[in-house]
Amino acid sequence: MPQRSVVGALVVRARAGDQGAWDVLVERYAPMLWSICRDQGLDRRDIDDVAQYVWMRAVEHLGRLRDPDKIGAWLATTTKHECLRVRRARRKQDHSEQLLDVAMTMDDRTTTIEQVVEDAERDAVLRAAFARLSPDCRRLLGLLMKEMPYHEICRRLGMAMGSVGPTRARCLARLRADAALVALMRADLESREGEHHV
Amino acid sequence: MSEVWDDEELLARLIVALTAADAVPRDFVEAGKTAFAWHNIDAELAELAYDSGLRQDEEAALLRADSAALRALTFVAAELSIELEITERTLIGQLVPPQAGRIQVLSESGYSHVAAVDEMGVFVLNEKPPEPFRLQCRTVTGLSVSTAWIRF
Repeated sequence: MPQRSVVGALVVRARAGDQGAWDVLVERYAPMLWSICRDQGLDRRDIDDVAQYVWMRAVEHLGRLRDPDKIGAWLATTTKHECLRVRRARRKQDHSEQLLDVAMTMDDRTTTIEQVVEDAERDAVLRAAFARLSPDCRRLLGLLMKEMPYHEICRRLGMAMGSVGPTRARCLARLRADAALVALMRADLESREGEHHV
Repeated sequence: MSEVWDDEELLARLIVALTAADAVPRDFVEAGKTAFAWHNIDAELAELAYDSGLRQDEEAALLRADSAALRALTFVAAELSIELEITERTLIGQLVPPQAGRIQVLSESGYSHVAAVDEMGVFVLNEKPPEPFRLQCRTVTGLSVSTAWIRF
C-alpha cells in the first residue's frame, strides 16, 4: 500500500539524520501514542514519561527496524508495554483496590494493537489528504463537519445558498482523488469483499 | 470507480481522524520531536571519581548519618560531572555545572526510563532500576555523557 511506503521512506530519511522526516513521523503517530496511553488510564505526567521513552527508543531503534514500513506497529507495541509497566509500578506504589478495578476495566475495552495501528494509519492518510486540499475546501468541510447550518456557512464564507452543495461535492471529489486515500479505500473494499466471500 | 465510502462515511471518518489529532496537546507532539536529539549520540564516558561505598572512613559514616543516602557516587567527564545519591528507595542526581537536560536510565536487562533534569541540574528517580544500570545524560547545552555500569 502506497501510504506504507511513505512511512518507510520517512524512516529511512530520519535514519540518515533528517529531523524534518522525524517530525512528520511524530505528527503522524503522536495521536496513536496519546490514545493508547489514555485507554490505559494514565495521567498526563505518566503519559509524557511513556511517550518520551517510546520516542527515544524509536530514535535509537531507527537503524535496527527490520521493516521500516512497520514503525507504526513497533511504536504501538512499545507504548502498550511501557504503559503496562508504569501501571504495574503505580499499583505497587499505592495499594488501592479501587485503582486496580479501574485498571482492569480499562484493559477489557482496549482494542487489539493491530486494530489501533490500522486506525492510526487510516486517520493519518485522511488528515494528510485533508491538509492537501485548498484553504477554501478545508474551511467549508470544516464548518460542515461542525454541523453548522447551511445559511450560517453561507454567511461566514460569503457563498450563495445554492453553491454550498456543489462546492461540498467538488471538495469531497478532490479529497477522493488523493492517491494514498484511493489506495486505502481500495484496500478497505478488498477486505470487505473478502469478508463477504468467506 | 468504486465508492467504497460514500460522502457521508468519508466525512464521518474525516471527523474521527481530525478529532483524534485535535485531542492531542501540542506540547506533547513537540516533545516527541525533541527526542530526535538522541539520534546518533556519541556519549562521552564519565569516569567514576568517587564512591562512598569504597570508603570506610569517617566521611562515609558522616554521609550516612547526615542524610538518607546509602551511597554517593561521582562520575566525571571533561565538561560535566554527575553526582549520585542512592537512598533506600530513590536515586537523586546532580549535574555539575548545573544545567537542564534529560537522563536516560538503561539497565542491562533492557529496562529503560527517562527523567527530566531541571534547571538546577537536579533529577530524581523514584524507582530504582534493576542492576546493573548506567545513566546517559544529554543536556540542553549539547553535552552528552554516559556513566559506566552501576551496581548498588
